[in-house]
Amino acid sequence: MKGLRIGVDIGGTFTDIVLLDDDGRVLTRKVPSTPDDYARGIVDGLAALFAASGVGPGEVEEVLHATTVASNAILERKGARVGLVGTEGFRDVLEIRSLRMPRLYDIAWEKPPPLVERRLRVTVDERIDARGNVRRALERADAERAIDRLVAEGVDVIAVCLINAFANPEHERLIEAVARERAPGIPCTTSHDVLPEIKEYERTSTTVINAYVMPVVAHYLASLRRELDRGGLGVPLLLMQSNGGLLPAEEAARHPAHIIESGPAAGVVGAQVLAARLGLPDVVTFDMGGTTAKASLVEGGAFTRSQDYQVGGGIMRGSRLLTGSGYLLRVPAIDLAEVGAGGGSIVSVDAGGSLQVGPESAGAVPGPVCYGRGGDRATVTDANVVLGYLNPEFLVGGELTLDADASARAIAAQVAEPLGIDVAHAAYGAHQVAAATMMRAIRAVSSERGRDPRRYALFAFGGNGPLFAATMARGLGMRRIVVPPGPGLFSAFGLLYAEVEHHYSRSLLRLVATCDPSELEAAWAELERRAHAQLTAEGFPPERQELLRSAHLHYKGQSYELEVPAPSGTIDAAALAAIEDAFGREHERTYGHRAGREEPVELVHLGLLARGRAERPRTPAGMLAAGADGSRPRAARSAYFGPELGWLETTVVGRAALTTVHPGPCIVEEYDATCLVPPGARAVLDDASNIVIELD
Amino acid sequence: MSDAFDPVEFELLKNALFGIADEMALTICRTTYSGVLRDNMDFSTAIADADGKMVAQGLTLPGHLGSVPTALDVVVERFAGDIAPGDVFIMNDPFEGGMHLPDIFVFKPVFAGDERVAFACTVCHHGDVGGRVPGSNASDSTEIYQEGVRIPPLKLHDRGRRNETLIALLERNVRIPVQLMGDLRAQLAACHICETQLAELVDRHGPAKLRRYMTEIIDYAERLTRAAIAELPDGEFRFDDWIDDDGIDVDRPIPLVCTIRKRGDRLQVDWTGSSEQVKGAINSTLSFTKSHSYAAVRCVLPGDIPSNEGVFRAIEVIAPPGTITNMVLPGACAARGLTGFRMGDCALGALAMMVPERVCAASDGGNTGVSIGGWTRERKPFIYVDFACGTWGGRPWADGLEGNANLFANMASQSIEVTESEHPLEILRYEFLPDRAGAGRFRGGAPYVREYRFLEHEGVLQVRSDRRRFRPYGLYGGGPGRPSANYLVRDGEPRPMPTKFIHDIRHGDVFRHELAGGGGWGDPLEREPERVLADVRNDLLSAALARADYGVVLTADETAVDATGTAGLRARMRAARAGQAPAVAWDDAPQAAE
Repeated sequence: MKGLRIGVDIGGTFTDIVLLDDDGRVLTRKVPSTPDDYARGIVDGLAALFAASGVGPGEVEEVLHATTVASNAILERKGARVGLVGTEGFRDVLEIRSLRMPRLYDIAWEKPPPLVERRLRVTVDERIDARGNVRRALERADAERAIDRLVAEGVDVIAVCLINAFANPEHERLIEAVARERAPGIPCTTSHDVLPEIKEYERTSTTVINAYVMPVVAHYLASLRRELDRGGLGVPLLLMQSNGGLLPAEEAARHPAHIIESGPAAGVVGAQVLAARLGLPDVVTFDMGGTTAKASLVEGGAFTRSQDYQVGGGIMRGSRLLTGSGYLLRVPAIDLAEVGAGGGSIVSVDAGGSLQVGPESAGAVPGPVCYGRGGDRATVTDANVVLGYLNPEFLVGGELTLDADASARAIAAQVAEPLGIDVAHAAYGAHQVAAATMMRAIRAVSSERGRDPRRYALFAFGGNGPLFAATMARGLGMRRIVVPPGPGLFSAFGLLYAEVEHHYSRSLLRLVATCDPSELEAAWAELERRAHAQLTAEGFPPERQELLRSAHLHYKGQSYELEVPAPSGTIDAAALAAIEDAFGREHERTYGHRAGREEPVELVHLGLLARGRAERPRTPAGMLAAGADGSRPRAARSAYFGPELGWLETTVVGRAALTTVHPGPCIVEEYDATCLVPPGARAVLDDASNIVIELD
Repeated sequence: MSDAFDPVEFELLKNALFGIADEMALTICRTTYSGVLRDNMDFSTAIADADGKMVAQGLTLPGHLGSVPTALDVVVERFAGDIAPGDVFIMNDPFEGGMHLPDIFVFKPVFAGDERVAFACTVCHHGDVGGRVPGSNASDSTEIYQEGVRIPPLKLHDRGRRNETLIALLERNVRIPVQLMGDLRAQLAACHICETQLAELVDRHGPAKLRRYMTEIIDYAERLTRAAIAELPDGEFRFDDWIDDDGIDVDRPIPLVCTIRKRGDRLQVDWTGSSEQVKGAINSTLSFTKSHSYAAVRCVLPGDIPSNEGVFRAIEVIAPPGTITNMVLPGACAARGLTGFRMGDCALGALAMMVPERVCAASDGGNTGVSIGGWTRERKPFIYVDFACGTWGGRPWADGLEGNANLFANMASQSIEVTESEHPLEILRYEFLPDRAGAGRFRGGAPYVREYRFLEHEGVLQVRSDRRRFRPYGLYGGGPGRPSANYLVRDGEPRPMPTKFIHDIRHGDVFRHELAGGGGWGDPLEREPERVLADVRNDLLSAALARADYGVVLTADETAVDATGTAGLRARMRAARAGQAPAVAWDDAPQAAE
């Protein structure tokens, strides 16, 4: 049997399917999503792909999947009716949040409504202190009263989060047991299981999100499983997590909080693996679509993770200072900075005479002016058409015809005239300002973390990524750009590269200088025991189980922790010293200074990453990417490169033409994306069909 | 190089400079040692041009808008001709550009070669700067000399060399030197980030262009501000409010009077008529009064105006010396945050007279400050500083927010679990209180209660609160919010406490603070009965008050509205009313207090 592997990435409009066979042959398919029942679109798309390729479902080994179903449930507020059990005196932890709002001077600010309304938040009389001692024991009868009340309210799921339960889960366990007994049909999720970490709001919010999306995700996965089975695909189904690892569908149904950012994560994983194969350990990934752009950092061959993020917060303009815009989720996730700039972003001039791009977007409907679908406000895509960067006649291989004159009229009236400059300069300005906005996302993951972006290559994908990559790279002083094949459906590719991963953590607040090493070792051993059990149950033999410890620390008094790797095996004084020193170095690297020896370093959480490695490499070394459009005739058109260079005759080629070095100005047109190689840059294909652009 | 103004370059440099200011703020946030800085974001960062004019301020504390220029002006003037590469300036003196002693300013001039191109500016609220009470924020000090170490404008670094004399002196005069030094290091790190990134801009654009566009960015903000002001109605709009007392003269209300005069594209905020300077430590400095005046006006302007000198040029602030809005020596000011919040609310009140459809009723009055400090049995110091706020007044289009930071201090609450793991405290309660919000078509926000149990053997509790006698006002038919309250529970016996006090506490004592409810907006009889029912079902309103305040009658099981009963009751309540409701609703006429 051939080991075919399938990656499926569901987006709001399109479902991207990628099929990879043992020889490294890749087939792709973009089909419309079917929101009423996503599974149908997937199965239909697969059937079409099988028909076209001559392979059958029996040859498929596994299906890897990224989905927006969980995040959509939150964005559209269509999750479950959740009942929340908390500690008496703390009924409103979920709603009071951290108080802070994401905007200043804004009387019109509205908090996102809590995912559990107050009457469904009940409390029990109990208390555990910060060290885990029971100060007030929970009476079973009280737990029963709380559960009965939620049952009477008709909740779909019960979430439990008690104060200091991270230090002692005994009361949460009692409530869970009572819930099982009295409400056996209602799933129950507890905070010590979802996130055994200190900070009650973070833990409550995460537990509630897990509960809120649980029935939606469970139903979706069950339906997908059924459809796959019916289509003869009774193979393992693995879900992409926000952290870049895969999770078996059964586990994803229990901990759906982990799969919220599944699509964007898949793209980063793909970038990480491809970059490593190119011998580029340090890259910034840049994923730009129609409404948003996302950046993340891959360093030393590994992507970086953030410990928490806001779901459904709308698009921030690259500011990480003001939080509270959405629903806080504290699970490890690939660290992505997102800004509201994409092809559909509106270009305008404000009352003070300044050129603005976004965050308002024309979206897919009505879309840019040039699409001729009713859009009448100039967008970034219109600017790119005016500049000659985009084909003035059509996009998506001819499926979308463009009206370049309409773009020019809109840019002239809405941008050039108010600013008193010519149309080309105005369009060029919009392109530059959009790039500057997106550079903030890249800075957020690099220089704001003490990393100099000039040391990194830029890995660009998404429908618009390759069009802006060179402008961004130049603005940031970056020298090399990589554009993978099929940039427009790269997230589906990314799925093929991921490994099974589980993350475990536990809060343990101890001063490193005075803590008992054996206590740490025991705590890590306990996490490792759970990880082994999980991976073994998933069929990974011990030699393919990889466990990596980490420690999250800060100087006592600080509230942000930095994560550093921790040694495996015995923890002794030397191991502690190594952890402390690694922290000091990381602090210096990130913030430019470290404290003297007299300042106590505090351990906050222990982390464990458990990876189940596939039996053989998940992807062959060389993949023959389909979609490299070799047949395209060579052409040329005039494109504008700023007031100094003006309009230049620019070569237009397909990707396959880049087997020889092409100096800029040059434009690479493909089915799903357009890549811009400006003057002063050179582009060439590498062995794996990536476009590599070098800047002077 | 071309001298022509290029709108594209302008936008790029503007974004870059504001990005740097934000990045400076992030640096402080992530590396600070004190809860006040990391959670309350009680700090600001900014970039000023070579002359000290503020170009870009980081997004942190709304009430700090405009605090930097006054301080930087003093430094630029005093050290004229003696500002060199490698210098770092420090100061906190409220009588020479500062705000109150815990707010320490650190400035670093940035050079391109020999040419000064900018100043990196930071100001942070430090956890303790000495003085008679841990936390250096007592509201009952009566002279600046009791409040801590007073730092005139000095060089912290002189051409790259640390001023060890000054540092030694500072370390000896604060309770937790390691924390002060750690937070000063965070400020220096922020200045360093600014310097590095400005150097990149200078490399790319050259110093002349950077200078030129800095001026343009200020002019741009001024144009936007003036254009927005021009659209507001002309006229004179006055609002009176009262602080309960200063904690010393406990029976004497303190009037705040704000008059906003607006003509064309100019706007004036005049505090004439406000109280004389008071004995207690709630006197404001001119810079702090300016900040809150700017911040209040900003709330009715469009959101995208850059925060810089250009905004200040369009708004004139008048605060007569010797008043609570512009104190003179030897005034005490450690707890002047209270006055800032209330000046903000008072200025918003005046704006509500100007543009009723754009302004909310009164909030809870801003942060209540709670400090618990002392020495453990091992003679180790501990200081816990907490700020509580979270209730907005009703708005002309929506209910007041609850459990949300104040408009003038976008703080975050500190985690209960972290508090309990770091301090000898147990938090017993932190949740909303029913029946406290001001009634209205759009009701005020529900306040919360917070209870702290003290677990060390002995210590000192210091509280700064207000809005008890003079409750948060309602607007245009909305009722006032219920007052704030303080209790000290010892041996199970709750004792009411004044709004401002210092008290010795011992193991097991519980302090309970209840915030004031937000004021309501609009006639409560116009509130949709279903929304009243929702509040009842969420335990935020009792059926009795639904009836008394809103004229809404519920069914016996309180799960539905009795439509007929409600219509009848509302008709009777309307009939019983005498005339139009006043624009501003207080509990009892505050004028009686004068």
